[in-house]
Amino acid sequence: MKRYTTIVIALAALAAAGCRDNPVANPIDAPTVDQLSGALTGPALQFIATGALAQDRGSTNVFAYAIEAGIFARDVYRIDASEPRFVQETLGGNPDPGSFAGGGAWAAYYTAIRAENAILAALGNVAANQFTPAQVTATRGFFRTMKALEYWRVIEMHDTVGAVIQSDDANAVTDVRCKTAVLSYIAALLDTANADFTAAGGTTTLPFTVPSGWKTSVAGRNYSVVSNLVLLNRGLKGKVDFYRGLNRTNPTPALFATAITEITQALNGAAAGAVPPADFKKGPYYVFVPGGSENTPNTISDSKIGLNPLVKDSVQAGDTRASKIVPRSPTAGFGLATSITYVGAVASTANQALPLGLLRDEELVLLRAQAYIEAGQLANAILDINDVRTNYGLAPVAPADKNSAINAVLYEKRYSLLFEGPQRFDDLREYGRLNATFLRPETSTDPYNAALPIPRAELNARGLTTNPACTP
Amino acid sequence: MNRIRSSVFSLLLLVFVSASAFAQTRRLSGRVTVEGSNEPLVAASVSVVGTSLGTYTDDQGRFSLNVPAGPVTLRVRRIGYIAKTTAVPAGDTEVNIALGRDVLQLETQVVTGTATTVSSVNAANAVTVVSGEKLNKVPAQTIDYALQGKIPGAIITQNSGAPGGGVQVQLRGVSTINASFLPIYVVDGVIVDNSQIANGINAITAAAGGNFGSTQDQRVNRTADINPNDIESIQVLKGPSASSIYGSRGTNGVIIITTKQGQAGRSNLDVIQRFGTARISNKVGSRCFGSGQEYADWTGDTAVAAIAADIAAYNAATTKCHDYEQELYGEHPFNYQTVASLRGATTGGTNYFVSGLVQHDGGLALNDNYNKQSIRVNLGQKLGSRLNLQANTELIHSLTERGISGNDNTGINPYTTFSQTPSFIDYRKQADGTYPVGLSVNNNSNPFQNTELIKTPEDVFRLLGSGLMSYNLVSQDRQTLDFSVRGGIDAYNDHARVISPATAYVEQVNALPGTLVNNNANIFTGNIGASFTHRLIRDRFTATTSAGIGQVRRNVDILGNTGRGVFPGVTNVASATQIFTTEAQDVVKSQSIFGQEEFLTMGERLLLTAGVNGERTSNNGDAQKYYAYPKFSGSYRVPVPTARIDELKVRLAYGRAGNQPQGGKFTFLTNLIYDGVTGFRTSTALGLPTVKPETASEMEGGFDLTLFGARARFSATQFRKQIDDLLLTAAVAPSTGFASKTINGGQIVNHGTELELEMTPIRTDRFSWVSGTTYSSAKGKVTRLPVPGFIPVSGSFGSRFGNAFVQQGQLITVLQAVNGCTALNAAGTSCPSANRVLVFVGNSAPDYEMGFSNDFSAGPFRLSSLLDWRKGGLGVNLTNDYFYGSGLAKDTALATRQLAAFRKGVDVWVENSGFLKLRELTLGYELPTEMASRLFNGHAQNARIELSGRNLFTRTRYTGLDPEVSNFGNQALGRFQDVTPYPPSRLFYFTIATTF
Repeated sequence: MKRYTTIVIALAALAAAGCRDNPVANPIDAPTVDQLSGALTGPALQFIATGALAQDRGSTNVFAYAIEAGIFARDVYRIDASEPRFVQETLGGNPDPGSFAGGGAWAAYYTAIRAENAILAALGNVAANQFTPAQVTATRGFFRTMKALEYWRVIEMHDTVGAVIQSDDANAVTDVRCKTAVLSYIAALLDTANADFTAAGGTTTLPFTVPSGWKTSVAGRNYSVVSNLVLLNRGLKGKVDFYRGLNRTNPTPALFATAITEITQALNGAAAGAVPPADFKKGPYYVFVPGGSENTPNTISDSKIGLNPLVKDSVQAGDTRASKIVPRSPTAGFGLATSITYVGAVASTANQALPLGLLRDEELVLLRAQAYIEAGQLANAILDINDVRTNYGLAPVAPADKNSAINAVLYEKRYSLLFEGPQRFDDLREYGRLNATFLRPETSTDPYNAALPIPRAELNARGLTTNPACTP
Repeated sequence: MNRIRSSVFSLLLLVFVSASAFAQTRRLSGRVTVEGSNEPLVAASVSVVGTSLGTYTDDQGRFSLNVPAGPVTLRVRRIGYIAKTTAVPAGDTEVNIALGRDVLQLETQVVTGTATTVSSVNAANAVTVVSGEKLNKVPAQTIDYALQGKIPGAIITQNSGAPGGGVQVQLRGVSTINASFLPIYVVDGVIVDNSQIANGINAITAAAGGNFGSTQDQRVNRTADINPNDIESIQVLKGPSASSIYGSRGTNGVIIITTKQGQAGRSNLDVIQRFGTARISNKVGSRCFGSGQEYADWTGDTAVAAIAADIAAYNAATTKCHDYEQELYGEHPFNYQTVASLRGATTGGTNYFVSGLVQHDGGLALNDNYNKQSIRVNLGQKLGSRLNLQANTELIHSLTERGISGNDNTGINPYTTFSQTPSFIDYRKQADGTYPVGLSVNNNSNPFQNTELIKTPEDVFRLLGSGLMSYNLVSQDRQTLDFSVRGGIDAYNDHARVISPATAYVEQVNALPGTLVNNNANIFTGNIGASFTHRLIRDRFTATTSAGIGQVRRNVDILGNTGRGVFPGVTNVASATQIFTTEAQDVVKSQSIFGQEEFLTMGERLLLTAGVNGERTSNNGDAQKYYAYPKFSGSYRVPVPTARIDELKVRLAYGRAGNQPQGGKFTFLTNLIYDGVTGFRTSTALGLPTVKPETASEMEGGFDLTLFGARARFSATQFRKQIDDLLLTAAVAPSTGFASKTINGGQIVNHGTELELEMTPIRTDRFSWVSGTTYSSAKGKVTRLPVPGFIPVSGSFGSRFGNAFVQQGQLITVLQAVNGCTALNAAGTSCPSANRVLVFVGNSAPDYEMGFSNDFSAGPFRLSSLLDWRKGGLGVNLTNDYFYGSGLAKDTALATRQLAAFRKGVDVWVENSGFLKLRELTLGYELPTEMASRLFNGHAQNARIELSGRNLFTRTRYTGLDPEVSNFGNQALGRFQDVTPYPPSRLFYFTIATTF
């Protein structure tokens, strides 16, 4: 009996030992957000920074960005027999919040904002010997700038419908804020980011590798360095301040002067008309990689896309930017017809890899001209307008009044930034020109859409069926 | 004070008196025999009622033990025989008892806890016990096939006719949407893994696209590995009212398997040798063109030269109408199975059961087969009178090659070719050894060439091991205390490969011809537990108290490699031009504590049980929190006055079990690539850090009747099962950056009925007939759903064909499809998409299922049959779509009508999938003992030969290959999609079985 007792006790002890184990286990299948709550290391920052930038690229690489905004601005057509919504919900009717045409420019940006907020939170707890304090501050400034950019993209497509300022709490659904409030929030965010850049110092570089579109080979400048990031930040701030100044519902003329100062800083201090044309194409770019495991082609490379015939008709003789307009096989449908398209929209593998500028210096020069016009400095505006015009083989102009100056700058913006995003759409709307007085109806039922609605999924989650009134 | 002292004094007196009462004993001996034949009954248990005294009979059926001097009652019992109690007056020293055979299985031991059992006479749940003999009447490739039609309350459906497994067991309906949906299998106390591992044929079928395996890989669930011949009995706990001992794994029921142990008596060597074959049992056929002109009309050619060429091609063909299915699936495989087992016990207290299995089952197509080898060693050792050790191990190897079936988008499935080829084209291997090239629309695939060249071996090595130690701490006449430790592991490696060489025509159209898949799944499940069981035996009651702890751990690591662009003949993935890798890992740990009280009283008529199992698991949001799973049950054997009714037991049971959330608590990071660099960002699916397990509560009641002197048994059970806190995905406001989140919410209520009637209408010396009939029905409704109705992730091909749908107020198994049109188009030929009407067509699950089993024996002959009747149920027959769309269906007129109706918005694909199947049929002959001994040089004790068949006959209105089908394998909902599956087969066996 005694010898068996030992066996029993041994086995019991074994069982007891086995049973005392703590049952908490980590999911080792894929990384989770819990892994971001530990001390941030260099490799982890590289992963999440690339992830946030990839999401930002993805959200601009869809219909709602260059293509839909271009259609709303009546420069771009997309005619698809099997998908009439490209016309019926843009130039032929109002966009449906439940469709891809009406529900866009929203969810993807907010996912990017969530990703950028996650990085900003993670930067509050960095591991030892990974980054210098300046690098941490520079990274913070960078992602605050990117976050501001996401919000700008949401509000420029939703205008007076408003946008939501995302809460840090994943479960909180906050109010839809009115345009003025959102623009103020963006402005404040950009200034905070700029303060970060100042604190970090101009020579600090970001502690992670940026995609090639942010490097000198593509961008013309090295946007890893804070001094160049400041240029981007001030350029964005200037753009935002200009549109805040111009805000139809709540204009703030005092901001035009601020915008001019900021854009001048973004242009390296160049005076009116003194920006070298070689700088026009400088700025961060989105690069696209068709095929392979990345499989993210530029979506404007699309055989169903064309340009509004007016784009060609309105080109001034001698304008070398006319080379952006190329013929295509005639296409027609739903009341539209065209036989021209944008050179970068021709379906080809080269175009699928065509980079897209985020905020080029050329746009900044023209924005400054617009600010000068609104601030009453017509002479300076003319200098900037001609700085661009003459680069494209056109004779300089000298508009005598504000209205003709606006017409002149809008012409330059249209052809300099053709198919590069919502810039023209923003301008037509903010200048009050998105109506039959200035533009012909494209179809018999053209509603002159000025904004996208709140998407259906957002309405459903709030228990609503129509856009709510925005909170000021 | 005085009062207390006198109470204490009388208590002590009582103790001494009772102690002294037991001091007088006598020696009681006797013999136990089998009623009617007078053979000795070996290893029968002889116990003294009201005490813990007992012993077992020896080789001669003799027993001898010390009993109290006064009158005692002996209970004699042995599995397979009806227990008997005999009163033995004081003074008697010799008693003989004869036990009758328990033909209707009225008496078995029923598991009620990790270390407790109760006699089925008293059991308070509707437990089904399937003996090993009943399980193995007709050979089956896996235990799931063997269980079909034998468990009331279980719907057991095979997913396709491919050899080697892939069967789903559903106990009492569907109990979940997103969590585990299969019952757990426990073999000798070890929880056995039942995963379905994708073998990667998706890389060549592109059923789901991508480079890796998918749910459409015709997966086999891994309980297929277990050797059915080793099984002593299977006990099925059908729902939470019985399975709360398994806590958060018990919602879908538990299948408890006990393997054979050594028995006292002569050691026996049983050898069973089987030979068999399989034949295709159903074909869909294809159109047979009567003339070249008919064929030319079908092609739609208008040019004179083209029509002439068509007619010439038709005329040149030697066979005008090939039966493609017969040509490809018409193998006559030579199947064999050898089972040998040695079973016995030594006087030294060792019992052993050693068995081996070698099995080969060919499929219907060339090179398809299922092979299994296993060796089992069960050893038990009694050390002294108190310690019992038992170690059971099984080592299994299986190799399955199932070919290609199921949905595909590359043209590689044979039916994709058969449905598009006019039947005068010959695809078989030509005299010169080459194969004709297939249709370009099918990527030139030739199914006959594919059968020869493409290999899909799934190789599994598995070790099941369990150990049990039970120690009798206290063993008094009226009290016992046992301590037991039980644990085991189930570890296996599933190595699946797909070798699709560049020499196959279907590969040559790829940009990178030649595909290799090399998948390795390593799954380890281990559990260990310890418990104390205390039995208190008093005159008026027996109380069994048990308490214990347990732990389960599961590790999963599945690594998959796919290579594209491979040199012909090379099978090394690393040599491929493009290589893709994927991995899935999981670690789950759970702990449990339980306590249970079983109170048997009123002359063993009333059994009351109360217990609770507290469990925590790492899958829960709060991994430290214990969730309680209680159970309460009662059963009463009503004293009946009439002679015809032997037993009437009424029972009521309530229990709660759970279903673990898997991954729902985490918010993962999704990976994106930017400019060739990998990045991660928060996924758009928000996890729930406080996620809870689903909870299933079941109330079950019923009664059991034994009639006419144990000649008939009738059971009726009704149950109501409510599942709360369903794991669901709810949409969220996209402005949060998320698209969905995990929630606990929603409720499903299942209710149903189970009826069982077993009887022996005829029982004479020479002739007997045992008949069994079972009826089971279950219906589940979604009673609460906090999110809008949705299509579950199970997979479907769109509502124009039919999909599952979860909606408050609907049955959980409802089928939704487009069936109706508000207004046809102007020509009246089609329904514009805006006018299509989406309806709930009906219940995809069967209304009820009945099983009919009949055993006749006349002298040495035996005939048994099992009929399975499933009434109701729906299937979506997409195989028909392949044939109708091409105009090559066998019944051309029907196809045309159906297509026209489909265009007008009628759902022609949903069909009634009820059936009547003859599952098993055996004719056996027991050789006379003299012949048996002469046959094997005098060594054999007995021998029998049998002719058996499985799935010999099917009657159904379903027009597809088999109403039992699921393209997406085992899944909770929507398992009714029929897309060009492997055809079903009839299996025939000839068996010689001997005992040495």
